[in-house]
Amino acid sequence: MNTNHEFHLMQLADSFFPSGMFSMSGGLESLVKHGKIKTDRDVLKFIRHQIHFQLVPCDCIVLSETMVAAQNKDILKIINIDNRFFSMKLVKEIRNASVRSGQQMLNCVMYMLSPNNKNKFVLKFQNKIESKQAVGTYPVCLGIAAHCLQISRQSAVKMMLYSYSISVIGAALRLGIIQHLNSQWILMQLTEDINTLSKTMTRKTISDIWQLTPFTDILQMAHEHDDSRMFIT
Amino acid sequence: MSNRNRSIPKLGIGGPVGSGKTRLIEMLVPILSKKGYRCCIISNDVISKEDAERMKRTLATESKVMPEDMIIGIATGGCPHTAIREDPSINLAVVDEIEQKDPSLDLIIIESGGDNIMTTFSPALADYFIYIIDVAGGDKYPRKGGLGIESCDLLVINKIDLAPHVGADLSIMERDAKLIRSNKPFEFVNCNTGAGVHRIAEHIINDLLFDRKPVEKLSRR
Repeated sequence: MNTNHEFHLMQLADSFFPSGMFSMSGGLESLVKHGKIKTDRDVLKFIRHQIHFQLVPCDCIVLSETMVAAQNKDILKIINIDNRFFSMKLVKEIRNASVRSGQQMLNCVMYMLSPNNKNKFVLKFQNKIESKQAVGTYPVCLGIAAHCLQISRQSAVKMMLYSYSISVIGAALRLGIIQHLNSQWILMQLTEDINTLSKTMTRKTISDIWQLTPFTDILQMAHEHDDSRMFIT
Repeated sequence: MSNRNRSIPKLGIGGPVGSGKTRLIEMLVPILSKKGYRCCIISNDVISKEDAERMKRTLATESKVMPEDMIIGIATGGCPHTAIREDPSINLAVVDEIEQKDPSLDLIIIESGGDNIMTTFSPALADYFIYIIDVAGGDKYPRKGGLGIESCDLLVINKIDLAPHVGADLSIMERDAKLIRSNKPFEFVNCNTGAGVHRIAEHIINDLLFDRKPVEKLSRR
């Protein structure tokens, strides 16, 4: 029994964890460029919107359901979830970034767990990626990682929402639209949302997933063709 | 760290903004190509894909030295050093993709976004690290040190033609480079004319590729 799961939770949620999140703005850069986001309140509103219409109804369920499937050692179900999530991502740069981050996260977790003695379940899923049966999206790989580190589903969902928020807030700081104190204020405002939402997540199944962020999606598609940009997404 | 074997040698090129990283690659690749070495380029850029687009034009469209899809641009989220050192995940992911796509490549060149003097590459990402500075920053540059200048495998000092115009004394730079690098190699070049670039290519062939013959040539024998 792993009694260090709280530590591992902090480890995975830390912006220091190497998953490439620092290079993503989750659509924020494009919205800022088009003048749709200008203040700390706009950033907060954007994060809330993405959480309610993207992360909670889709990414978090994928994460949670992957953890259930990993618990049951049901690799076929994970492959199914992975491909389904990938097919739902309409924006090419989001799909690519998700897969790149996810696969690198698995490499890192594999190294963390047993650099010389490969974790069999992670290795099995990596082989499915190599054979093109799976793609290795970020929430699926995070779910596998959280399962291997014995993190609870509720905590994993909370971690995903926190990591996403940190990633967007970090991007907002670097884009120069908020200051360091604003960033902590935004996080404080999100505390209750993230706590409440993470409690309800484990009741959802893969058949419940949906997403609806058309405005962000369209601007992300424009972002793909921008000549000047700081972020991958 | 991946479950795949990473067999293609990787060269990291870092240095401050405007020091000539992209130009060095533009001069190096044709030399390596003439010797039969097939390269791929990953170009990290802080604010755009301009460097990658430029190399696609100069090395693919105009000179046809390499295919366009072997020049890949990456945006670094404003943190060029993070992308190659603290969290090289995205670069490693692209390296994985390249190695899967064409395992017969001889060399992957990874260009960092323009950064400060503390730039270094994660050893997980680059097997050999070139740090490039230019004389226009003044002849004090090597003496000031910094991780990049001190720890790189090869220090390249570019734009030597500008020395008289900016009051930089190349003999001082040479003396200080020898001192601060404990006799590790450094070279003076002019990437605009190509002067000295062949010596950089020789370093890469000898010290990174270990005089290995190009993969394509070997497989034909």
